[in-house]
Amino acid sequence: MSAALSIQNVSKTYPVPLAATRRLLRMKERAPVEALNGVTLEVGEGEVFGLIGRNGAGKTTLAKIIATLVQPTEGSVNVRGFDSVREEERVRAQVGLASAEERSFYWRLTVEQNLVFFARLYGLGSRDGARRIEELLELFELTPLRRRRFGELSTGNKQRMAVARAMLNSPPVLLLDEPTRSLDPLAAATMRQVIGSLARGPRPVTILLTSHNLAEIEELCERVAVISRGRIRAVDEPHSLRAAHRNRERVRLKLRGVDAERALELLRAVQSEESAQFAAEQLEDDLVAVNFERESEDDRLDRALRALVEGGAHVVSCETERGTLLDVLETFERETGEV
Amino acid sequence: MRALVLLLGRVRAFVVRDFQLAVSYRVEFFMRILSILFVTTTLYFISRIFAGSFATPYEQWRDPFLAWITALPFLNYFMVGFSSLANAIRSEQSQGTLEGVLMTPIGIPTLVIASSAWDFVQASFHSFLYLFFGWALFGVEYKGSFMLAVLFLLLTTLVLASIGILSASFAMVFKRGDPLSLLVGTSSVFFSGVFFPAQLISETAGSWLGFVTQLIPTTHGIDGIRRVLIQGQSFADVRGQLFILFNYLAVLLPFSLWVFARSVRRAKREGSLIQY
Repeated sequence: MSAALSIQNVSKTYPVPLAATRRLLRMKERAPVEALNGVTLEVGEGEVFGLIGRNGAGKTTLAKIIATLVQPTEGSVNVRGFDSVREEERVRAQVGLASAEERSFYWRLTVEQNLVFFARLYGLGSRDGARRIEELLELFELTPLRRRRFGELSTGNKQRMAVARAMLNSPPVLLLDEPTRSLDPLAAATMRQVIGSLARGPRPVTILLTSHNLAEIEELCERVAVISRGRIRAVDEPHSLRAAHRNRERVRLKLRGVDAERALELLRAVQSEESAQFAAEQLEDDLVAVNFERESEDDRLDRALRALVEGGAHVVSCETERGTLLDVLETFERETGEV
Repeated sequence: MRALVLLLGRVRAFVVRDFQLAVSYRVEFFMRILSILFVTTTLYFISRIFAGSFATPYEQWRDPFLAWITALPFLNYFMVGFSSLANAIRSEQSQGTLEGVLMTPIGIPTLVIASSAWDFVQASFHSFLYLFFGWALFGVEYKGSFMLAVLFLLLTTLVLASIGILSASFAMVFKRGDPLSLLVGTSSVFFSGVFFPAQLISETAGSWLGFVTQLIPTTHGIDGIRRVLIQGQSFADVRGQLFILFNYLAVLLPFSLWVFARSVRRAKREGSLIQY
């Protein structure tokens, strides 16, 4: 797979404004803000690539550097062969950025007027622009709102507009900064479908997706990078990251016929053999939840179930939850001392 | 050829956008027309106070109303040239829309031209109204070549626009407190002889202040326009003023574009492109 996005050793430090003047006037010195440090990544053509990290980890700065809105302090970004500093106009023709910043539209203009304006800036002619706008309004279910002022839209619809604008010139690379942040669950599912279909379409689009919704990242992305304090901590497929960092799963049993105290007593035999900790909570009069962790595929669940059933408990349900990307993120952040 | 079509398409997009924004504030549009009518009428009545009461050595000022009505609309135009880009940048930064615009493959020169285009369309209309009200309501007669007056108008506006690009560069990096708008904006009205002959400054306040009047491009622009429209002078008579304006332009335009491109780069380095 050839690289659509090549990020080499990119660092970004935001300088202190008027630092020389502040020094001259002997004002209190502020430290420059280091947003990215030595970031190196490659994203292949047609790949959906996820970027996860906490607020302030550097995700948005990286997206803005790729979109040429911010210049790196060091390193280089190459978008389909074009350098983001030396050939910024060409890079912008290749990239669509949908940021979570809803102020970047004209609030007194309608949905359609906004899209027509940006279509012209992308160099689309009247006919091509109108056709593309029609497609996007349809795709994002904005057609009934086309004559509504942007300022009158709901936050979710504003977010759809941002993604629609990013796709106006059908760019081969899309940077989606938290594209489902303000959407209701149904609209978010539709947006995920759209993102998935873009990558699988006849002209696959390369997508860099940042999100706090880790389930979304796992569902959509072929690879994920974990970014923390401006550094890339790991890059891998979501399931490999999970497996490498957490080969454990959480188990939650719901029982009837015993109370919480009796359930723990029955499980004591299992607990004494292992270091596993069982926790029990009384949910209703006759319903108890037992939670514990186990290594994937060990026999602790089997032994716990046997002990409970032999002790007179009736197992109502058994749910298991594998380690998620959240666990991966938390692990890295514990290592870097962020939590 | 394709680049020109693309440029014109983008300029049109900005003009249409700004027109749509302007008509979303309908009352302001009509109030502005009304205010021009009031200003023109007020100036006419003030000029009547002096009608036939004094002889002046300043040929352009024998009819003060004519001198004002030929200077005000053009000063308005020049000031648009000076302030439109900085205002557009400030407005886009404060609204947060500059990020949206700069995400598209638009070059700096295109941004400079396109974001000022609507202001010039509006200024042309307002300037025309001053001249029209003077002619239609108060019997003002303009002499000389209108084409020559337009040449002065274009040249002076471009010079002011170059200074305006420097002002916009300041807005891009420092956001507020632009010293150029204070210097050029306020001093132009005083030093360039809009309301009284510029020669009076050197005659009463000394030659160094007279030198300042000569440094300001609008002095030469307004003088040239009055020479054409009031005194009916020809190209040969006004080529000195044209030469001065052309020299200003040759120096200021490339310099200001260079500074503007650097200020955009600096704002990108500092990450303050969309901040206000």
